[in-house]
Amino acid sequence: MVKRIVDLRSDTVTKPTETMRAAIADAEVGDDVLEHDPTAFQLESEMAKIMGKEAGLFVPSGTMANLISVLVHCECRGSEVILGHNSHIHIYENGGISTIGGVHPRTVHNNDDGTMDIDLIEAAIRDSKEEITFPITRLICLENTHCNHGGRCLSVEYTDRVGEVAKKHGLKLHIDGARIFNASVALGVPVDRLVQAADSVSVCLSKGLGAPVGSVIVGSNSFITKARRLRKTLGGGMRQVGILCAAALVALHENLPKLESDHKKARLLADGLDKIKGLRVDTSSVETNIIYIEIEEFSGTTAAKLCKNLEEYGILLMQTALSRLRVVLHHQISESDVQYALSCFQKAVNGVQNENGN
Amino acid sequence: MVTKTVDLRSDTVTKPTEAMRTAMATAEVDDDVLDFDPTAVRLEAEMAKITGKEAGLFVPSGTMGNLISVLTHCDVRGSEVILGDNCHIFIYENGGISTIGGVHPRTVKNNSDGTMDLDLIEAAIRDPRGEIVYPTTRLICLENTHANSGGKCLSAEYTDQVGELAKKHGLQLHIDGARIFNASVALGVPVDRLVQAADSVSVCLSKGIGAPIGSVIVGSKSFIAKARRLRKTLGGGMRQVGVITAAALVALQENVGKLESDHKKARLLADGLNQMKGLRVDPVETNIVYIEIEEGLHMSAAKIVKNLEERGILVMEISSSRIRVVLHHQISASDVQYALSCFQHAVKGGQIENGN
Repeated sequence: MVKRIVDLRSDTVTKPTETMRAAIADAEVGDDVLEHDPTAFQLESEMAKIMGKEAGLFVPSGTMANLISVLVHCECRGSEVILGHNSHIHIYENGGISTIGGVHPRTVHNNDDGTMDIDLIEAAIRDSKEEITFPITRLICLENTHCNHGGRCLSVEYTDRVGEVAKKHGLKLHIDGARIFNASVALGVPVDRLVQAADSVSVCLSKGLGAPVGSVIVGSNSFITKARRLRKTLGGGMRQVGILCAAALVALHENLPKLESDHKKARLLADGLDKIKGLRVDTSSVETNIIYIEIEEFSGTTAAKLCKNLEEYGILLMQTALSRLRVVLHHQISESDVQYALSCFQKAVNGVQNENGN
Repeated sequence: MVTKTVDLRSDTVTKPTEAMRTAMATAEVDDDVLDFDPTAVRLEAEMAKITGKEAGLFVPSGTMGNLISVLTHCDVRGSEVILGDNCHIFIYENGGISTIGGVHPRTVKNNSDGTMDLDLIEAAIRDPRGEIVYPTTRLICLENTHANSGGKCLSAEYTDQVGELAKKHGLQLHIDGARIFNASVALGVPVDRLVQAADSVSVCLSKGIGAPIGSVIVGSKSFIAKARRLRKTLGGGMRQVGVITAAALVALQENVGKLESDHKKARLLADGLNQMKGLRVDPVETNIVYIEIEEGLHMSAAKIVKNLEERGILVMEISSSRIRVVLHHQISASDVQYALSCFQHAVKGGQIENGN
């Protein structure tokens, strides 16, 4: 029996649309290593303009975008970077900034809203007078929206304040802006204003924007020049890459306006899930397209069991802890998919309760 | 005046064909990080089969293919790799194996045919008894065809001998096989036989094979599992990557058969150039032609390159007296004739100036 699949595991699962496929087929290309692929150039220029930075660089993934950004800002051996203990760079990027880049991480506690306390950031900055035993702090990294903290947004005021701390201490500021457009839409703040304080930003095109592959790093001309060289060193220098950039340009034009609707769907789903006995969602913390679901003890089920049950209905999601699930909305999830998912959740949880004689 | 452009700078300039563009537009895709992209799986399985290895991994570039291979074989800190002093990994990959991977290179002289003397390789292997001061040799790298030596082929016999040496000393063998298909075609030896002795091979699809992007690493299942993880760490984990691998599959089917013709065109061009007074061409085995400008011509490479560019012929200046030309399937036989006439014109200029 053909099952209806509703894939809520991540916004990375989005498949290329018809217009993207047509753009891929017609893309004007060149050798982006020998010179500059014209479509890559178009995308990079457009992203730089949107983000209010001087230049951009297309890379195969958000991981490479962050890796390059940290390594370029911290190009001297003996560097340290301040970042959230629960940030994507620290948790989900294989520790590459250290194992590959030789940069030392100094983590600061992430609050539930994705921020780090300003005084804790400042306290983590190494005092250069002690430099015989200290690495040298060169960079602070923020993440907006903050993935592990429910896709919550860092405000422009907070970002500016961190920028001031960075400037005061001669540090750079990098924003892991994989989902920066979600933040911009949710906050109602233009994206260039949102990242104004940052020296560099990495922006994913393959998540909510729906492109098949890639991210763009934006920053100053000199930063991007160094980034381009490091990209080659890491092996990210692709030849006729315009075929991917063409899809990304379509994604930018077509799907940016759909993010607000993803957030609406997330709120709809969150409200519905919170009403199900046995599940709990902190609906006030659902700001963008990510929902974390707590499974109450009395429900008699675990995240793993519930995940498996839902899979049988065709609902795919991610288990993030023993009693915690994650759901991510994107433009290829319809409102009726949301309703269907809700009914499946209800059935799955009820099923367990019936088993347990509730 | 609009001139026809004949781009002989590299075989990387090949643009995707109609069939490739159609394949990319209709490719079946999925998230290759969360699960597996089905088109990527197809390409990786096919490349593994062709090369006679257990598994494959698609990567964005040859540089990443080599970087991952060296770092996976040398995953213990304090490793050393033996490679040619004129090989691509050592010269043109930004020293990444060291700056990124912490692996120490030990170079051995490349002969003009791309080989390294076996006794010199053996002498370069660190004696474990000296380990208090020596890094630990873990890997030998070969390059086939050898780019800087003029696209020269390493024979199956030589490769096997290096493989035996590696085995004797408990080392791994990696082949930078960016142009391995060119070697296979030129030697008349099936690819899997040619790389049989190797633990891993990196194969470019974006060069003579003509795909827009990418390379494939092949090796054992356990090697590829580690390589996949390192690929993610380096940032090469792409999502719906099937849009690119679909083009690579077409390239494999369509263009391997055209490599022999690229070699013919290279020989045609080389013969024609050799007849021009003032130019001397190294022997040509595959699709790469190196041209020496003889002193008597009193013309710099830069001047000739510029002159050719004005006529739409793009070539690469290697040094003040050396030019490189690379043939590929999007260069026709008539393009070759046109290029020859332009070279003739450029060189005559020098001859006339010098009263020859």
